[in-house]
Amino acid sequence: MAGVGFRRWAQALSRGKGSGLSALLPGCRAASGGSKADLPSSYPLTPEAKAAAAKKYNMRVEDYKPYPNQGEGYGDYPKLPDKSQQERDPWYQWDHPDLRRNWGEPMHWNFDMFTRNRVDTSPSSMSWSSMCKTMFGFIGFMMFMFYVGEQFPSYQPVAPKQYPYNNLYLENGGDPEKAPEEVVNYKI
Amino acid sequence: MGAHLVRRYVTETDTEPDPTKKYEFDPQFGFEEREAREMVATQDQMNLAMLPLEQRDYCAQHLLKLMKCKRDTFPNLLACKHERHDWDYCEHQDYVMRMKEYERERRLQLRKKRIASQPEAA
Repeated sequence: MAGVGFRRWAQALSRGKGSGLSALLPGCRAASGGSKADLPSSYPLTPEAKAAAAKKYNMRVEDYKPYPNQGEGYGDYPKLPDKSQQERDPWYQWDHPDLRRNWGEPMHWNFDMFTRNRVDTSPSSMSWSSMCKTMFGFIGFMMFMFYVGEQFPSYQPVAPKQYPYNNLYLENGGDPEKAPEEVVNYKI
Repeated sequence: MGAHLVRRYVTETDTEPDPTKKYEFDPQFGFEEREAREMVATQDQMNLAMLPLEQRDYCAQHLLKLMKCKRDTFPNLLACKHERHDWDYCEHQDYVMRMKEYERERRLQLRKKRIASQPEAA
């Protein structure tokens, strides 16, 4: 039995077209795996290619829209709307509840970014313009108030503190050779 | 509390003293004889104790006594109440003197304005 297999292998080898290691390996795969037709391929140019690509990605032909063919390497991968998984219905019984996705559904190109732990495109209750107005209004108001505080500073109604030894002339780094300005402080 | 700010910015903007400017009146003006403040701690003593510059004022002798007491009575943190009170009281009196200086300057400014406006009224 082993001898028969060995002979068959040698015959296939002599007939084979490949070179190097690929010549030694058998040119067959199990039928259970996906075929090459299941993998993403190049940009679909004809309507038939579009229909085939839509079927491959489990989409309807009218929903299927590839990325524009600008040489960026998307091929025939569908361009899905940029909506995060957080926007999907939380009460529907998804096959994968944490991913909010059903088995076989076409995945967004940036699916790993749009998971619920990451980027979220959910609409906010406040519009962009009103958010901007609120933030810049607050910042502008605070800057104005700080400016007013600089112009009209608040202070205690006291004279400046008096220090001995000619306002600590030597301690403040004054030249010991030069005579300092004489400061006399009085009691009151 | 804050009346001086209203005076300075709203009601008496020309006479209220400006804390950033030097006071213009002669210290002896209005006094017969004025006693100078006495500094007890020497510069060498303050240097050896490594006092920060803000604390090298006219109350430094009390502070030096307090520091010595604290070092001697450690770890009893409640010990130096008398020395601390002496230093605090000295600082308090210093602050009261500052308030009095400010008030003196303010009254002299008002007087100056009053005298300046008299010949016009007369």
